[in-house]
Amino acid sequence: MHADVIISKALYFFGDGMLPLILAVLAHGDGDLLARLKKRDEKALAELYDRYGGIAYRLILRMVRDSGVAEDLVQETFMRVWNRVGGFDSDRGAIGPWLLAVARNRAIDYLRYQGRRAESTIELNETEHPALFADIGPDPLHFDLARRIQGGLAQLTPQQRESIELAYFEGMSQTEIAERMSQPLGTVKTWMRRALQQLREHVGGAKTA
Amino acid sequence: MNCDELRPDYLLYVLGTLAEPERSEIQEHLSRGCANCAAGLSEARSLAFALGTAVDGPEPPKQLRSRVLAMASGNEKPKFSWFTALVTASATAIVVAGVAVNIFNNQASVTRAQVADLRSAMERSGAEAAAMREAMSLIQAPETREVSFGEGKPAPARGRVFAHPGGVLLIASSLPAPPAGKTYEMWIIRDGKPVPAGLFASDRQGNAFHLFRPQFAPLAKDVVAVTLEAAAGAKLPTTTPIIVAQL
Repeated sequence: MHADVIISKALYFFGDGMLPLILAVLAHGDGDLLARLKKRDEKALAELYDRYGGIAYRLILRMVRDSGVAEDLVQETFMRVWNRVGGFDSDRGAIGPWLLAVARNRAIDYLRYQGRRAESTIELNETEHPALFADIGPDPLHFDLARRIQGGLAQLTPQQRESIELAYFEGMSQTEIAERMSQPLGTVKTWMRRALQQLREHVGGAKTA
Repeated sequence: MNCDELRPDYLLYVLGTLAEPERSEIQEHLSRGCANCAAGLSEARSLAFALGTAVDGPEPPKQLRSRVLAMASGNEKPKFSWFTALVTASATAIVVAGVAVNIFNNQASVTRAQVADLRSAMERSGAEAAAMREAMSLIQAPETREVSFGEGKPAPARGRVFAHPGGVLLIASSLPAPPAGKTYEMWIIRDGKPVPAGLFASDRQGNAFHLFRPQFAPLAKDVVAVTLEAAAGAKLPTTTPIIVAQL
């Protein structure tokens, strides 16, 4: 069963009180999982898929809007993670955030070459090197943050939300977003900074960037 | 700018979407070991993850799990995805030029029939197939670094360079046809000194694929460039590079 499904079911039946325990168990498993993946343990890959396959699929599907393509890109995502997990210098680190960054990049890559995106200045590899995720730690608040973020996104203005969604789900640079929304770059920057500030406050300020 | 001023931009930075000058400002902070920015970016990666987990949608098909696991165990070859097909098309463009052009122009629309054509072409062309296997192995190696070139540039050539300690692979599309008696030459430029990295041709559609195995491991500071040279090649570049990619 996928981690997010486990959590949503637990929350439904037991309420928020169960969340810390569930998440602590999941978080503990992440560290062990990383070590086993580095040893090329195929059962660990199966666990990784069970934990994050659904999340990766839904994210990619949201971005590419084609289930067949989404399946291909999920496959590419897990293959890339499987082949590059040795890039973690230690057994520390957050495999989930890294995997989702890889998944998002595969989808952006597809969108670029598929032609929906005219041009881009983004260098995807800069954003998904495993070393970047070594210091995150298996923070059990990730899933709680997700719930809070949904609430936070709902409170943004339409322009703020659109600009954030274009950045996240289509991988657009701020310059590209300004062109898409027919607004000056400075205006878009201001919208996005305020939106991210609001999101940060909504999810608990100091805990997030 | 100080760290507090940059803090709202951390998320966009980790998503790779932050515009200048803020992007360079954060890079400058990181280059001098700014602990505040490093910690802020780690937290931003957590936030990016949380955003991704907040997406609603259906469960993936059950067979996808089997596909992923079969591929890892070697029981299934990697599926010809849009990108793999792009790479393959480059190697076999001479054989199936029409398919290659279609793939380069519209990678998402690769049909099963086209994939079958490409596989068949690879099987027929032993040398190309061997080169392709070598290239695919390089692309999928954990230590391979990948850079794009040509995006957002007025010159038409675009594509990717894959740098591995044992080789450098160039895949390009939209290369202009070289004049008679001329060919393309790749260079690896280190500390301003160009080292010849092999000659290659493009097909009639402007697609090219070139794998070079240097005597030295490419470094992040190296630059891969491509110039038009005489058919026999040159010891130093004599024309303005058509392709420039910082590794």
